[in-house]
Amino acid sequence: MAKAEKTSIETEVVVIGAGPGGYTAAFRAADLGKKVVLVERFPILGGVCLNVGCIPSKALLHVAKVVDEATESADMGVSFGKPTIDLDKVRAGKQSVVGKLTGGLAGLAKQRKVQVVQGEGRFTSATELLVTGEDGDTCISFENAVVACGSSPTRIPNFPYDDPRLMDSTGALELEDIPKKLLVIGGGYIGLEMASVYHALGSAVSVVEFMPALLPGADADLVKPLQKRLQSKLAEIKLNTKVTDIKPQKNGLKVSFEGPDGEASGIYDRVLVSVGRRPNSQLFDAEKAGIEINERGFAVVDEQMRTSVPHIFAIGDIAGDPMLAHKAVHEGKVAAEVIAGMKSAFDPLAIPAVVFTDPEVAWAGVTEAQAKEQDIKYGKGVFPWAANGRSLSLHRDEGMTKILFDEQSHRVIGVGIVGPGAGDLIAEGVLAIEMGADAEDLALTIHPHPTLSETVAMAAEVFDGSVTDIFVPKRK
Amino acid sequence: MKIEIKVPGLGDGVDQVDVAAVEVAEGASVGADDTLVTLETDKAAMDIPADVAGTVVQILVKAGDKLAEGDLIAVVDSEQAEESAESDAPESDSQDSETEKSEAAETEPAEPVAEENDEPTPVADRPTPPAKAETAAPDAGSSTSSAHASPAVRQFARELGADLGAINGSGRKGRITRSDVTAFVKGLLTSGSGGGAGLEPLPDYDHSQWGETELLSLSRIRQLTAKNLSRSWPQIPQVTQFDESDITELEAFRQAQKSLADQQEVKLTLLALVMKAVVHSLRSFPDFNSSLHADGQQLVLKKYFHIGVAVETEAGLVVPVVRDVDQKGIFEIAAALGDLSGRARQRKLKPDEMQGSSFTISSLGGIGGTAFTPVVNHPNVAILGLSRSQMKPVWDGSEFQPRLMLPLSLSYDHRVIDGAVAARFTRHLADNLADIRRVLL
Repeated sequence: MAKAEKTSIETEVVVIGAGPGGYTAAFRAADLGKKVVLVERFPILGGVCLNVGCIPSKALLHVAKVVDEATESADMGVSFGKPTIDLDKVRAGKQSVVGKLTGGLAGLAKQRKVQVVQGEGRFTSATELLVTGEDGDTCISFENAVVACGSSPTRIPNFPYDDPRLMDSTGALELEDIPKKLLVIGGGYIGLEMASVYHALGSAVSVVEFMPALLPGADADLVKPLQKRLQSKLAEIKLNTKVTDIKPQKNGLKVSFEGPDGEASGIYDRVLVSVGRRPNSQLFDAEKAGIEINERGFAVVDEQMRTSVPHIFAIGDIAGDPMLAHKAVHEGKVAAEVIAGMKSAFDPLAIPAVVFTDPEVAWAGVTEAQAKEQDIKYGKGVFPWAANGRSLSLHRDEGMTKILFDEQSHRVIGVGIVGPGAGDLIAEGVLAIEMGADAEDLALTIHPHPTLSETVAMAAEVFDGSVTDIFVPKRK
Repeated sequence: MKIEIKVPGLGDGVDQVDVAAVEVAEGASVGADDTLVTLETDKAAMDIPADVAGTVVQILVKAGDKLAEGDLIAVVDSEQAEESAESDAPESDSQDSETEKSEAAETEPAEPVAEENDEPTPVADRPTPPAKAETAAPDAGSSTSSAHASPAVRQFARELGADLGAINGSGRKGRITRSDVTAFVKGLLTSGSGGGAGLEPLPDYDHSQWGETELLSLSRIRQLTAKNLSRSWPQIPQVTQFDESDITELEAFRQAQKSLADQQEVKLTLLALVMKAVVHSLRSFPDFNSSLHADGQQLVLKKYFHIGVAVETEAGLVVPVVRDVDQKGIFEIAAALGDLSGRARQRKLKPDEMQGSSFTISSLGGIGGTAFTPVVNHPNVAILGLSRSQMKPVWDGSEFQPRLMLPLSLSYDHRVIDGAVAARFTRHLADNLADIRRVLL
């Protein structure tokens, strides 16, 4: 595999992985005056997020949204009839979105004089990285390293992964075909997003989830409106159910289930396994550098993103939960700044999470379930979107904005939103938490009308008793 | 009286409501505004309150049940209305609320070593660790969680190495602003005594180069004691006033009460008597029962008399507090002392039992020694140290008489108390102990 060619590079900073965490660290370090080498095993930069994750999935979810809206607009008096899906064009459209971003990345790297080396990077010592690429090996000796190797979809042992009809999220995004019957194993955000896409494109989609609820981790009252809508669209949602076996057959994949009603089985044209992701800790020979990996596969890091080796940093999915791109981006910045001598640290008060289904679900800070479990004394304000003009004008009424406040100081400690656009609205919630805003601050801030953002201010008004758009009987 | 809680009117066209969540368990105490269950329709969710304070006798529904108007949800017994005290300081995202909590729980346990023998006074170690009064402080104000700082201010503080927990926010709602951080750091740099920030750290040595050494882990209590003392020592200018009290009569009185004490199953110690005498002196010298206000311009005079008693335990020094010593009889005080010190040794003291003292006493008499300089237990302004009472020849005008003399070592915060006053206070106390009947005056 390794050809005769071997190059040697000396650098101040080497970043392994060019996903959102890696490229952010690389570009920030370069902007702070460091000599940076960016190692990426694939020929295109951008990691999972740009290529087979965040971006392509959102591009397809938009297509799904358009299809759904076209169907639902009949109620408004505009009828379209059944859409014709040109799958090749859908695929190409998705690719062009991805291409714009990845191309942009390559340009940014060039402008900053960040040297990009393609190949798999593995530590040979605490000061050297060997990159094995198609055209030869590169030996990089570095003063600092940032590990940003990311994560991969978790595999279930004994599932028939050589059968092409069994896919993970990457395969699902390739959109090879629209299966007549699709089973999605895993009711988390990836599973539900892909279920939405394939349903809109014409599949009969079933979702099976091991836990008692979809989106484990999200408050039940936020999941409810989504679940209700999905229930009317998807073929079946099985909760509290385990997949015990998948057998490839000529007529499809035969899946055996074990659930509260006993055993069952079904035959599906394709099966998507989206049961979680694991960090790629086996990719870079951590032990050769002395980097400590914990029992869950994450590199152990401190607030400055340093691993057990002080000049080697780890960020993003490899460094711990939550495995989200925006967390990786901020961690990447911290690592670069610490390398440059700044006293940065990663100490956010809240990291938002968004599920891009329709309706979207988004939350940040303490969830109500966490507050109860940790015995945190809180008050809450809930505003139903059924009373929000903008939502109604969109012919939607199922949304909800819920804000948790510290019982004594009335500061915002958690925000949960379900409804179209929740993913954008949550940003105000994160800002409120970071700025120590309290209910009064939110209520006194003028939000434009008619918008969905008003629901945030109104949830605060429900809490402090000054809301006028709905009637809440006084109890205190 | 048992109150039935039913499903209220649901509104037009709504026949059925789902139970979304049950918020209380059978047997729980509830206030009138507490939510028992949350009901949900397609359109809205509503909380069903208890409407009366009492105990939940029965919950007849569970999550997922479908109910109609008028269905019985729960039964509340309003007779056993118990107001459950709200716990303090809710956990929020503040930076140092965790450290505060652990520090409060760790104020040093004390050890009444000499109680068993007839040694007059229980022993207390020299460095009196201060009770960390901040967490349960009544002066918590509007926001009990520590002041908030936005991300930019946090970054700024981090760059300057400033501890956000030590900074008071001057921004709206007590928020810490950038200028608060700057002012804090400036303050540390200019005021010589301020926070010891200007102090050069003590150098570290490799002792093993001189011979064999062993590493011993220090208990949390020990570490906290060290931390608290390092902080207060440089900032409190303290002086110790030494004096002696003739406790010959007092000791005779104490011995004479033995059978009465035994009847009440109480060990009447010298310390209990000293505490009563101290309170009498504190009434005459209220400055000694105060704290210096943070603004340096006012003294917080305490109308209560909670006396902390330093107790030595295996893990370190702890100062349990006997409350309202002025309202307790001597046997009551002795009983309280026995209980607190016993539990202190078993590490069974509750955090609030180690907080709130207005004055502290540290007794080493059981062990020995002639005098010592106890460290003022901030936020108190004075501390009384007792050493071993000794028979001494005392000149009565014509000859030497053998008298039992108790050494008193009163350390005080010189920012609040001057030497002359301290001498008077100590004399006043000595006179009280010489003739305990004065305490009745």
